[in-house]
Amino acid sequence: MKKKNRITTKATLRPSGALKSYISGKTEITVEAGHTVRETLSALNIPPEVVALVVVNPRTTGVNEEQQSKDYVIQEGDVVRVLAVIGGG
Amino acid sequence: MRLYMDSAKCSGCNACRVACSLNLFCENNPKKAAIVIGPHFPAPGVYEVKVCTQCGDCAAVCPTEAIKLNDKGVYYVDFAECNLCEACVPECPEGVMFVRNELANTAWKCDLCGDCVSVCGTSALWIAEKEPVAA
Amino acid sequence: MNGYGGQILHVNLTTGKITKEPTPPDVVRDFIGGRGFGAYFLFKEVPTNADPLGPANKLIISSGPFSGLMIPGAGKCDFTTKSPLTGGYASASMGGHFTAEIKYAGLDSIILEGISPRPVYLFIDDDKVELRDAADLWGKGTIVVEKHFKEKLGEEFQVAVIGPGGENGVSYACINHDFGRQAGRGGVGTVMGVKKVKAVVVHGTKSIPVADMEGYRKAGMALYKACKDAEGLKDWTRYGTTIVTSWCDEVGALPTRNFSAGSFEGGKGLYGQTMREKIVITDKGCFGCPSPCGKYSRSKKYNIHVEGPEYETIGLMGSNLGIDDIEAVAQANLLCDDLGIDTISTGNAIGWAMECYEKGILTKKDTDGLELKFGNVEATFKLIEKIARREGFGALLAEGVKRASKKIGKGSEKFAIQVKGMEQSAYATHNATAMLLAYMTCDVGAHHNRSWAITYDLQVGRDKVVPEKVARVIWLQNFRPMFDVLGGCRLQWVELGIDRDLYCPALEAITGVQRSWEDLEKVGARIWNLTRMYWGRENEGFGRQWDMPSPRFYEEAPTTGATKGQITKFEDVHKLLDMYYEQRGWTSEGIPTAATLEQLGLAELVA
Repeated sequence: MKKKNRITTKATLRPSGALKSYISGKTEITVEAGHTVRETLSALNIPPEVVALVVVNPRTTGVNEEQQSKDYVIQEGDVVRVLAVIGGG
Repeated sequence: MRLYMDSAKCSGCNACRVACSLNLFCENNPKKAAIVIGPHFPAPGVYEVKVCTQCGDCAAVCPTEAIKLNDKGVYYVDFAECNLCEACVPECPEGVMFVRNELANTAWKCDLCGDCVSVCGTSALWIAEKEPVAA
Repeated sequence: MNGYGGQILHVNLTTGKITKEPTPPDVVRDFIGGRGFGAYFLFKEVPTNADPLGPANKLIISSGPFSGLMIPGAGKCDFTTKSPLTGGYASASMGGHFTAEIKYAGLDSIILEGISPRPVYLFIDDDKVELRDAADLWGKGTIVVEKHFKEKLGEEFQVAVIGPGGENGVSYACINHDFGRQAGRGGVGTVMGVKKVKAVVVHGTKSIPVADMEGYRKAGMALYKACKDAEGLKDWTRYGTTIVTSWCDEVGALPTRNFSAGSFEGGKGLYGQTMREKIVITDKGCFGCPSPCGKYSRSKKYNIHVEGPEYETIGLMGSNLGIDDIEAVAQANLLCDDLGIDTISTGNAIGWAMECYEKGILTKKDTDGLELKFGNVEATFKLIEKIARREGFGALLAEGVKRASKKIGKGSEKFAIQVKGMEQSAYATHNATAMLLAYMTCDVGAHHNRSWAITYDLQVGRDKVVPEKVARVIWLQNFRPMFDVLGGCRLQWVELGIDRDLYCPALEAITGVQRSWEDLEKVGARIWNLTRMYWGRENEGFGRQWDMPSPRFYEEAPTTGATKGQITKFEDVHKLLDMYYEQRGWTSEGIPTAATLEQLGLAELVA
């Protein structure tokens, strides 16, 4: 019997709008938990600088979404939305 | 069915009222709308929305039977039958029966067209089944 | 006229004469409305070298074809005048519900000229137009005066009102409306104040005609659907422009301590999330807007209600002053709103004063005893009051940083962060050449709203000085202000990313005239060149030197933050202007050539 791999835990990244082009147009992608948002973005070749807003819906607490900084460490089951800076004032 | 509102979500934009006047009168004139947006500024800093709950109190008092029930179960004003007696206005518990002689020669009210819901960006308005009134 | 109120209202405040003319179809054809009308009437009707504070200057208030209709963001009103702050073209855009009411009263523009012998307010109720005595209101704050009119005349009246700032002649006084919206920049409120007009109140019951009712309703609904379907709608509505505060801090665009850096160690206290949690109570929107950016707030700390602060005020009254408390910024915001002075210019001017103080160029003797160290919240509040009343040290700052720094000297001119005499708004541009160029070439002075190009800098490379960047700035300058011309808001396109092609069928159905975005951008270029010619007409020796940025951005690299050690090269400043002038069809001194004016149909008007 194969044992399930419990070491690597997963979360979901949902790039919004134009950022989807960085993940071949898909609406979401599974990512490894335990890294910062910044590291995760860089690993996907999304320049952290073009992301204006990080909103996390944490699976664990089930409370409403919260804005987080790019230094936030992604937890298992989190759904992390990232929005591009489109325009500004 | 009836219109519902959540005042806490209202931004005071009045898009609903333009859509409403377009539906009722084919005019761009939100003063001829059948929904009330009441601003309370500078304090407490909120908008108070009043909508028709389709209670039928207006129809019950109309002496010319100008306020009718359509085949969707919605109360509306038949403009041709209204004689501007204004009996309906004080009857409305929400204050959304309108008579303004300078604007129109008929009373008007919500006919549940739903255009207000379509233009409300904050989802402060929606249409759903009438809930039984709590005792 | 389909899509229009139909008449221009002329008010001569010196004589009291009030007249109307039908809105000229050729002006509609070439300038469309809103800011386009403002530019046209300014150039045509205000005599050359008019004193901005004199009777010959005019305040031109204009709605546009979208205003008051079922179009997302149909709530913007343009205020154009000759600026008492810069001596050139001023145009300020005010949201809320005022512009719609102008149309319901059957008007497109209201033009105020002359000077009233005593304080008045302009009363418009459909066809009834009167100048009424405002002696009892003179000296009062904008909030209580708007409340007074709402109670006395009725909630349906829309009010545009100045505060003590405008009455006292602060060079950057603003005009207030709807308990939190402003026509902010360039001293439009100053002009209203010198003309002794306390307020304009308007009420109208007419319906706005459109050419194709069915087509307009369909196109309008399509626009609302696009907005409601936009992915970022919920986030944008939650934060408004404060959505960029944390990002600006991260990329070094957040003005810190008089633009000496682009990141602020206290930034977290100002971020959108912090503000939402601490003070925001209502998402407040302009006419027709599905994505309300207004964050109406209640600060328990200061026991106030205020609309805002929005990003610009957070930048200039927060990080720019070394203040890290969003509630203090909210209080500063309210003081400026109530007193009627522009938060951007005020914050910028105070930041300059603080740097002077920290450097010993100014001492307590000069500042009426105020300790103007960065971060001093109480001194900031006191100074705002002094500026609005032009009292003591406040009188110097009330002239704007360009004039103030010229008077003080001692090197302080080098850190007066302004272009053409207008204080720079809240993007630090040490190393963001597209945005720097945007500030240098903006038609009213250093304001960001024509061409917000920072993301482009990041995409292409911050310090790159390439023709594509210049082309981008020019395109944004021709395109974005067209929303001001149409009497609507650009933020649905800017922030929600809706397809701009959805606007064209709406505009055609409303006005009966088909215009593509190419057509509209040509009108944008026409207005851009006209107002450039206006600057040249009113300012002897106008040219390249007037487009130069503050030396801070090519001499003083920040020592902290995301742009630490980064600075623009001086020769690149000129290289940017070289490319810009060439692409614009201007001479090497930045003056539109005859060929360019001809191509835009301006040859006759500017002759």
